[in-house]
Amino acid sequence: MIAVRDGDLDCMGELFERHHGPLFGYLTKLTGNRTAAEDISQIVFQRMLKYRHTYRDEGKFTSWMYHLARRCASDHYRKASAAPIAVDPSDLAAHADEARSADESAASRDDHVLLQRALSRLDRDDREVLLLSRLQELSFAEVARILECSVGAARVRAHRALRTLRDHYFKMQKEPLT
Amino acid sequence: MNCQTCREHMIELADAKLDAETAAAARGHIDACEACRSEFETFSLTLASLDAVPSDPPTHRMRAQVMGPIEAEKLTQRNQAAWASSIRSAAASRRRRVPWVQFVLQAAGLCTLVALGFILGERTATQRQIADLRARVDTVGQLVEQSVLQKRSTGDRLETVLTAATTSKPDERVIDGLINSMAFDPSVNVRLNALSALYAHADQEVVRAGVLACLPRETNPLVQVSMIDFLVATKAREASPELRRLASDEKANADVRDSARRAIDLL
Repeated sequence: MIAVRDGDLDCMGELFERHHGPLFGYLTKLTGNRTAAEDISQIVFQRMLKYRHTYRDEGKFTSWMYHLARRCASDHYRKASAAPIAVDPSDLAAHADEARSADESAASRDDHVLLQRALSRLDRDDREVLLLSRLQELSFAEVARILECSVGAARVRAHRALRTLRDHYFKMQKEPLT
Repeated sequence: MNCQTCREHMIELADAKLDAETAAAARGHIDACEACRSEFETFSLTLASLDAVPSDPPTHRMRAQVMGPIEAEKLTQRNQAAWASSIRSAAASRRRRVPWVQFVLQAAGLCTLVALGFILGERTATQRQIADLRARVDTVGQLVEQSVLQKRSTGDRLETVLTAATTSKPDERVIDGLINSMAFDPSVNVRLNALSALYAHADQEVVRAGVLACLPRETNPLVQVSMIDFLVATKAREASPELRRLASDEKANADVRDSARRAIDLL
């Protein structure tokens, strides 16, 4: 990123190749919507390019990237609360309504679907801290910096989020199939 | 370690992100505490399931929409650098010619006609360079304009210009940035501030050449008059042909024409 800031834009392509996968994965889990995750990831890289002059060599690049992602996601949620969200057809399986179809019931046995559903039941702040803590390249100190709180607060929030997720997840596993 | 602290460290313990001492203390507590052991087991299961949720790669749309602006920015950067470099080389070549002109003018006492012919030739060469710069400004301009419009807000761009104006010893990049802002920024306010910031560096040939190259492309009368004032203040005699053109251009704003006439007299 330092090279990008200093004018070597070829490195921006390398940054994209290296980081877009994990960033997209994080945002997909955070939003539960692939289309939204793509849009936000795209905005993150566009902002990196736009604000490259403001990059300071303090801390890890990934911390800066996820900090940007957090802001972009907040903007997305703010806009989404004011306008209806366009739903990607491929996401429809994840948007279960009250009366589940036979296909959905079958899919609900799948751990991944259950987990994603349990995740979607968490508060956005809880989901955010938990998912950030799952990124291998980030320590809790870095997660705390991204969330602009103390390391202790980040640990407590992540622990609370994980406990809630576990409760939802285990409860869903025990629910009888309809 | 108590239960509360142990539980707060469980995520890092499961991920092996704890330092050896804290990890040993947490493990010791878990071995001894039934409730925490159960909590850790269920947490580990949940985390493993969460990490196992697959994430399909994004579509090609995303790649295209990220790489597109990067390529456009690269092109803009290359063109801006080429434009700034062309102004610098034009200014440098004119500087190199000065002793020549002086020599010829001294010789003019002996041969006025030859000297006059030489000066005329020089002017033609300068006009050609300015015309060349003007052509570059016009072609690069459209591309850069689009880029500038897509980039930061007017406030951000103005702030950048004002920051550059307060730099005590700006390098070439800062000067080139100010000239580019004066040439291509869509905001009159930003262009005026860039021009105003360039006053401090008017002793540089490249700055005068930059203002002169931008004048024909400028359409706002306020900026045009300010550029003319700049050229007069810096005694840029090479601006005379362009000023004459403006003075006689019926499509130009009346104030701009008047300003150009006054400038010709002063120069």
